Amino acid sequence: MNKIEAKNVDVYYGAKQALFDINMDIEANKVTALIGPSGCGKSTFLRCLNRMNDVIDICKVSGVVKINDYDINQKDTDVVRLREKVGMIFQKPNPFPKTIYENISYGPEIHGIAQSKSEMDNIVEESLRKAALWEEVKDRIHEPGTGLSGGQQQRLCIARTISIKPEVILMDEPCSALDPIATAQIEELIDELRKEHTIIIVTHSMSQAARVSQNTGFFHLGKLIEVGSTDKIFKNPTQQQTQDYITGRFG
Amino acid sequence: MNKEERLIKRYKAEKRFQFYGKAAIFMALLFLVVFLTKIFSTGYTAFQKTWLVIPVNYNADLLYLDPDKKPTTEDINDADFYEFGIETFITLDPDASEDQIMELKKMFAFTFERELKYYLLDNPDSFGKTVDVKLTASDDLDQVFKGNYPRDIPENRRRASDYQLKIFDKLSEDGRVISEFNASFFTNADSREAELAGIASSFMGSLFSILVCLSIAFPVALLAAVYLEEFAPKNRFTDFIEVNINNLAAVPSIVFGLLGLGVLLAVFGLPRSTPLVGGITLSLMTLPTIIIAARASLKAVPPSIREAALAMGASRMQTTMHHTVPLALPGTLSGTIIGLAQALGETAPLILIGMVAFVNTIPGTPMDPAASLPVQIYIWAESAERGFVEKVSACIMVLLFFLIFMNLGAQLIRHKFEKKWN
Repeated sequence: MNKIEAKNVDVYYGAKQALFDINMDIEANKVTALIGPSGCGKSTFLRCLNRMNDVIDICKVSGVVKINDYDINQKDTDVVRLREKVGMIFQKPNPFPKTIYENISYGPEIHGIAQSKSEMDNIVEESLRKAALWEEVKDRIHEPGTGLSGGQQQRLCIARTISIKPEVILMDEPCSALDPIATAQIEELIDELRKEHTIIIVTHSMSQAARVSQNTGFFHLGKLIEVGSTDKIFKNPTQQQTQDYITGRFG
Repeated sequence: MNKEERLIKRYKAEKRFQFYGKAAIFMALLFLVVFLTKIFSTGYTAFQKTWLVIPVNYNADLLYLDPDKKPTTEDINDADFYEFGIETFITLDPDASEDQIMELKKMFAFTFERELKYYLLDNPDSFGKTVDVKLTASDDLDQVFKGNYPRDIPENRRRASDYQLKIFDKLSEDGRVISEFNASFFTNADSREAELAGIASSFMGSLFSILVCLSIAFPVALLAAVYLEEFAPKNRFTDFIEVNINNLAAVPSIVFGLLGLGVLLAVFGLPRSTPLVGGITLSLMTLPTIIIAARASLKAVPPSIREAALAMGASRMQTTMHHTVPLALPGTLSGTIIGLAQALGETAPLILIGMVAFVNTIPGTPMDPAASLPVQIYIWAESAERGFVEKVSACIMVLLFFLIFMNLGAQLIRHKFEKKWN
């Protein structure tokens, strides 16, 4: 079943067109990797899926993006409810400059998910456990989240995102600021999260895409060149450009 | 030029540069030291007050009171202490001529009537007895005693006559001239007599003005900054507003004074000379400063924090109120305090809205007429009497203290909140 369907998506930054007629289906409870050289539009496409491009004044998005068969690009779509369903992890870990606890309780709080203090405590613990961070921070959850290491901060951000149980999690190069050990932890986590969430991950690392994803889309110069199962893309691509990219001839 | 020479040249250039830097700092410090030394050496005597201790005979006959009956408060209040004072002064020199009696009177501040009366009210037992009473010395003698006044110039060019000095020296020999901490400098309002003039009115005036200024400028500026930075679309119109805010910050303060005069006083008919009008005028002046500081602080909040909140499904308003504004608040507050410190030292606009008036009452509310500290300095600096010279410096010291206190507060806020998350 397709969780997300993008049809004829064009994105313009001012006069410059960043995405050209993207058509892509994303399967539920799978990890879909978006690969391609820098500036190819993969992050831009990712940001179309929770309308984070709204933040950029000069950015214009057209086309249809359906999540659960509902077009999110309509004028009256409530972005708050959309982003409650579609969470996002950023390239650089960006915990709030608050305590670990407050970082996680923020989402449930503004969406009115927890009814009591004990319920909130449970959500915080559960989210931290799912993000494989609980054991490391359980004694200091009332200390600043910014005091954690880079890898821990990124897992804190993941815990924060899953605290409101989004159906889809978008990850924009989540490991690019992390060392190999922290990267391995996050990758393990991604595989775990796939059970409950649909994950779309933008990555620069082809080996990471091969390791974590079931499906892969290859972007080049704002166009979706090829999309398919990760196996097929890496072993038997149909397009010459894909072949050149994954064999390291450019990019 | 070979490599070795270039290396030596580079070292020399660096040394020279460091020397220039040190010299610049030294110059700045030198100016500061000269300035402060001048202010303190001139002003410290203002915190001392000279009293003449005079034997006073609270004789019933002299006061026209019944000698057999203890006088009530009303009796004392009704009694004529002017004549009584003159009679008392004559005891200092029983042979004094008519003119000399007037000179004797002028050795004391004109408040001698009140001082004599209050002494009796506070010490009813001294009725019918001769007691020593502390009376404020005139500013001329005060200055002579403090050594600010040369005695060796011809008498006709001196404010204190030879006769007054003779009597004063005699009192001084008897230990009847004393110098004490000048509490009245802080508790009195302004006065035409230097020995009585104090800063209470101008201090309260400044305080009220600053409070009015803060309560108007801060919320307005914060809202304007938050809207411009977080919500407003970036287009020509907002660019135009931005340019105008920056221009407003550079407008000479006297223009704001004219605005206050023309609009607040003339159109809205607000009471003249009051801290309310002064505060509103100053808030116009402070507004752009705070807006600029607040916008800079908001800009300094990393966009990643906004993205994090938005991606969590926070609305724009929640993102702003829960994350951006709290993070920008320390910077905004210290900018605000610096803006207020600027407003505190502002003179020109206050002169235009009439806060330069002679106010000898202490304002209880922002609606009462008042002066302000910098205007008080201006008023006193214009006065001819010698006694005001030290008051000017003392008032500057109080103002400087106020400013240092505020800037310290700004520093503290910045320090405390910056440390928290780093």
